[in-house]
Amino acid sequence: MPKKTKKTAAPLIETQNLHKSYFSEELETAVLHGINLTIHEEEFISIMGPSGSGKSTLMHILGFLDQPTQGKYLFRGEPTRTMTDDELAAIRATRVSFVFQAFNLLPRTSVLDNVMLPLLYHPTIPASERIDRSMEAIRAVDLTDRALYYTNQLSGGQQQRVAIARALVTDPDVIFADEPTGNLDSTSGNQVMEVLQNLHEQGGRTIILVTHEQSTAAHAKRIIHLKDGLVDSDVQSFKRISAKTNNTLEK
Amino acid sequence: MLLTDTFKSAYTAITAHRMRSILTMLGIIIGVGSVVLMVSVGRSFERYVLDQVESFSSHLIEVYPTGFEKFGRTLDSLSFADYEAVLKLTTVKDVAPVIFIREKVSVGTEEISPNIFGTTHHFFSNYSLKLRDGRILNDSDFKGARSVAVLGFQAAEDLFGPNNPLENRIRIGQRFYTVVGVMDTVGSALLQDLDSFVYVPFTTARAQTGQKFMSYMTMKATIEDDALAMADVTSLLRQRHGIENPDNNYDKDDFRARSASQATEIVGTVGLGLTAFIGLIAGISLIVGGIGIMNIMLVSVTERTREIGLRKALGATRQDIMRQFLIEAVALTMLGGTIGIIGGAVIGAVLTAVASKFVGHVPFLLSIPALLSAAGMALAVGLLFGIVPARKAADLSPMEAIRWEG
Ligand SMILES: Nc1ncnc2c1ncn2[C@@H]1O[C@H](COP(=O)(O)OP(=O)(O)OP(=O)(O)O)[C@@H](O)[C@H]1O
Ligand SMILES: [Mg+2]
Repeated sequence: MPKKTKKTAAPLIETQNLHKSYFSEELETAVLHGINLTIHEEEFISIMGPSGSGKSTLMHILGFLDQPTQGKYLFRGEPTRTMTDDELAAIRATRVSFVFQAFNLLPRTSVLDNVMLPLLYHPTIPASERIDRSMEAIRAVDLTDRALYYTNQLSGGQQQRVAIARALVTDPDVIFADEPTGNLDSTSGNQVMEVLQNLHEQGGRTIILVTHEQSTAAHAKRIIHLKDGLVDSDVQSFKRISAKTNNTLEK
Repeated sequence: MLLTDTFKSAYTAITAHRMRSILTMLGIIIGVGSVVLMVSVGRSFERYVLDQVESFSSHLIEVYPTGFEKFGRTLDSLSFADYEAVLKLTTVKDVAPVIFIREKVSVGTEEISPNIFGTTHHFFSNYSLKLRDGRILNDSDFKGARSVAVLGFQAAEDLFGPNNPLENRIRIGQRFYTVVGVMDTVGSALLQDLDSFVYVPFTTARAQTGQKFMSYMTMKATIEDDALAMADVTSLLRQRHGIENPDNNYDKDDFRARSASQATEIVGTVGLGLTAFIGLIAGISLIVGGIGIMNIMLVSVTERTREIGLRKALGATRQDIMRQFLIEAVALTMLGGTIGIIGGAVIGAVLTAVASKFVGHVPFLLSIPALLSAAGMALAVGLLFGIVPARKAADLSPMEAIRWEG
């Protein structure tokens, strides 16, 4: 599934002074204090930072799973604040995909049905193509022989690969992965990283990855450090590690 | 999202959470089933009682003496002349006078204390009593005051066991009677007392007891309206007894006429009360069932909220979510409701069939109002507790829903 290139003048993602606070019973927890970021297509970015620095919070906003409290978020130059519920749903269905640390698969449901799930909500991909596309995505994560297994019958690493296949199946502009290897041992973690890296290198996909581990982050081409809800550093990485040559991820 | 996909998602969600689905349906099945069962059985037995009373006594009128009971004496206001006078009325027919003989009945060493009726052959037709063996009392028994007796089914069995009672002699008090007939069993739990009665000619009873008045009399209305016939009898007797009673104050009368249709009405009222009571219990069980459904749905809200968050994260619109949950709730409640209705009806039919074996035919009446209100309530509860939490969840951002802790 080679990535179709949609070159436009505007960057894929642009944030200006992005703020996020959580509110619970009159209590305000300010988490992001003004994030400015520009991300272009076909980048492979690692977001790092201490626990509680707001990495997940930022990812959820960028991935359209949550709304910022303040500031601008432009997606392909379009301001997202004024988008309707249905427009946001359409972007989630077609443009962005999310890979969660906790997999978030439907239990007692087959791998194929899980991977096919986003296609049910896709506005343009015809129903007749669903199975082929899903099997293609399952093949890309090397799980063809498990396609009809229930997801609860798979190992953690396999489940995360199912989640990646599900993220892949709609052919999105960008895949967000929030600590995708966080619940995995180093071998399966490395397999997952290999899959993501392949998607970037051979598929030309934009991937934004959150990780705690320097070794995992080192797979990316650009590393953004967050600290206390602000961008602490944003550097291009030169010594990239290939998951294929690095058999075990150091924990 | 295509509608067929919505159905498929609903189906997948129901089957993927089999236990949750079964428990939800169980609440509905029990709630709906018990309402249908209880109300239907209540209505069936009410119908049964009414049928019994009606079959046995349509247009039946009974006239009793009333007044202050004198110690050790029966009431004596109904004379034989009253009987002769009532015979002349055209609004009633088949008038049967009755004198009770208060004696024991024996054959050899077997002794019983039945109700002994001194009466005429009209008595048998008035109460639709059927003969099993021999004959009933006839006119010549009456005219000749003959010492013959007809036994109720149970009385015959008690006195003669397996032997044929016909042409055998029984003793009533100090007098011997020849058995000329045995009545068939009435075959109904409600009326089984009739089986142990003993019947002798009215004139013979009068001679044996020396009684100068009737214990009571029975007759049939010849016109459709029993109340009119009853009024006719009442005014005749008031006139004969010299009672002025234009405002129908029964305390002034020394007798009382009553019709079986009155009894039917009373039974009907009692039955209605019973149905209302059963309906109340059924309503309570429906509420309990509803709370059961509610609990299961509320318990699964956390799980469902996360699922909704995930589906939204994958691109589901609010409408997609609401449709899926609507279909799920409707499918579960309709399936559960249908099973409940069928289950309640089948158990009700079996219960009445079993009861029919013991107490005579009990018709099975399915209560449609109970059925509809039970189904409606189940649907309402199912929708309310299936849809409201889903709507709340659909209003959250995907991440808020996925992280929901309940
Ligand atoms: N739903 C919420 N309500 C209130 N506070 C929240 C919520 N989610 C996150 N927070 C707070 O926001 C801060 C940032 O959380 P976030 O999950 O973004 O951190 P993180 O960088 O991803 O950390 P980690 O590396 O541990 O995953 C934390 O202090 C957390 O307590
Ligand atoms: Mg996090």
